[in-house]
Amino acid sequence: MADAAPPPVVRGPRVPAALPLAALWTAAAVPFVLGAVHLADPELAVRLHQAGSAWARHALAALALAAAVALLLLPPARAGLRLAVAQAQRRLSTDRAPLARALGELQHFESPARHLEVGRLAVQCGETERALVHLRRALELDPRLPAAHHLAGRVLLRAGHLAQARQHFLAAEQLEPGHAFGDALLHAGRAAARLGRHDEAVRLLTEHQGRHGGSAQSQLWLGDALATAGDHAGARHAWRQAAAPPAGQASAEANWYRALARVRLWRHGGSA
Amino acid sequence: MRSLWHHADEIPVTLVVVLAYVSLAFVTGLAEPDAERLAAYGWLTPLLAADGEPWRLLTHAFLHGGLVHLAFNGYMLLQVGPALERSLGSLRFLALYAAAAIGGGVAVCLLYPVEQPIVGGSGALFGLLGAAVAVLVRSGRHALEFLTFDGPRALLSLIAVNLLIGWILPFVSNTAHLGGLATGFVVTLLWLAPPRQPSPRFRQWRAATAALFAALLFASLFPVVRHDWLWNQGVRTADADRRERLQRAAVMAWSGRDHASEADVLRFYRLVVDPDAPRPR
Repeated sequence: MADAAPPPVVRGPRVPAALPLAALWTAAAVPFVLGAVHLADPELAVRLHQAGSAWARHALAALALAAAVALLLLPPARAGLRLAVAQAQRRLSTDRAPLARALGELQHFESPARHLEVGRLAVQCGETERALVHLRRALELDPRLPAAHHLAGRVLLRAGHLAQARQHFLAAEQLEPGHAFGDALLHAGRAAARLGRHDEAVRLLTEHQGRHGGSAQSQLWLGDALATAGDHAGARHAWRQAAAPPAGQASAEANWYRALARVRLWRHGGSA
Repeated sequence: MRSLWHHADEIPVTLVVVLAYVSLAFVTGLAEPDAERLAAYGWLTPLLAADGEPWRLLTHAFLHGGLVHLAFNGYMLLQVGPALERSLGSLRFLALYAAAAIGGGVAVCLLYPVEQPIVGGSGALFGLLGAAVAVLVRSGRHALEFLTFDGPRALLSLIAVNLLIGWILPFVSNTAHLGGLATGFVVTLLWLAPPRQPSPRFRQWRAATAALFAALLFASLFPVVRHDWLWNQGVRTADADRRERLQRAAVMAWSGRDHASEADVLRFYRLVVDPDAPRPR
């Protein structure tokens, strides 16, 4: 694996980032479409507008109702809100100057380390497409960079390219066991679980726990993998560990995984 | 004031706009403006803008409804304009003022009663405030860095207080304020002060927002689902069949029903077209 060429990196579908753009284009199309319909049949344009307005009002009311019900029924609503706020805050307060500097430096001299640095900073700034380009180039120049494999795996996992993500995580772990404090191993387990390789996922996540200790995230994912593999008692144990109150102030991410574990326990008849 | 005069060559657009404010205020009546003159010089109503007078989207931003209105807006322009014009350049500043004025006017056309007139540069001035926020967002190492400084925080407070005043006072158009604010912010963020290293999606955002602005402008100048516009189109159409369909569509748009009955037509005619006619039983 170490000497093999890295798997081809494909741009992910990036559905969440494309949604606001699609909404903008749709909203922009409406007046022109109504204008075109008006030329042929003014009454039809008015009818379409009335029906569309009524539909939009109903859709908004249904969305508001669904949001209210979700807030009441789903225990992770508060944790999810806290996570969303933390992510937005982080995204808006990420320093972009180092990325600009790194891109500038790359124009003078190309090296795998510099591409890796640009990829790392682009991931921090939320520019995953740019990050993929540079991580792929870094791996072309030096396929034995565990950090590039790890970051590419993270980006691909987020984009839904599970098989490629799993290969990158495994490559990172093979090149440097325990890379990023076990994060590559942890995400390799997650990618395997999402690919339906439950036994492999359980093996990787258990290995991660043995070598790096458990966190709310790893316990939750291990519980999920065990439940899918049919070990419900083991799953409940892992979820209970994940849902345990933290010693100090938990981060927004840890709080989110803890809340998810509580939901799993609630649904599967256990208690935290 | 002396400082402004000494640096007039650096801020020509700000000074010309202030001059336009003052001279038009004298023409339309400084203390008590004459409504007919305000209408003639370009006040904005959604009805007139859609009735073949689109220039009102811009001209309303140079007219004012009295001495206090003029003094407040003139002071605000002289506070915000010079720094922004020096920062962006005069041509870009001019484009910003025009875009924000049109943005405020478009918001009014889409959301106001059709015969409600508005005047005043405050929509455009809110656009300048939005532009200042966008420049601050771009100038820092990250988007929220400007919040660590007192001056920029005071700018946000100024915007919030002015919006609050707009909500409290019934004769102030917060619709135009918000339209101008959003336009100024977006235009500056995407066009006038773009990032040095734009992301791959930056052009897509530019194209989508430009398309949305064009669509809103189209909807305010050709409101094909608004009763007044449909009725006027019908009145001007020579083709009898087309006229009938346009007028039926006008009645449908006014009544909110998906067909126009004879009773609806009668009510529409008496209540909208000829308001002096007695109400039907």
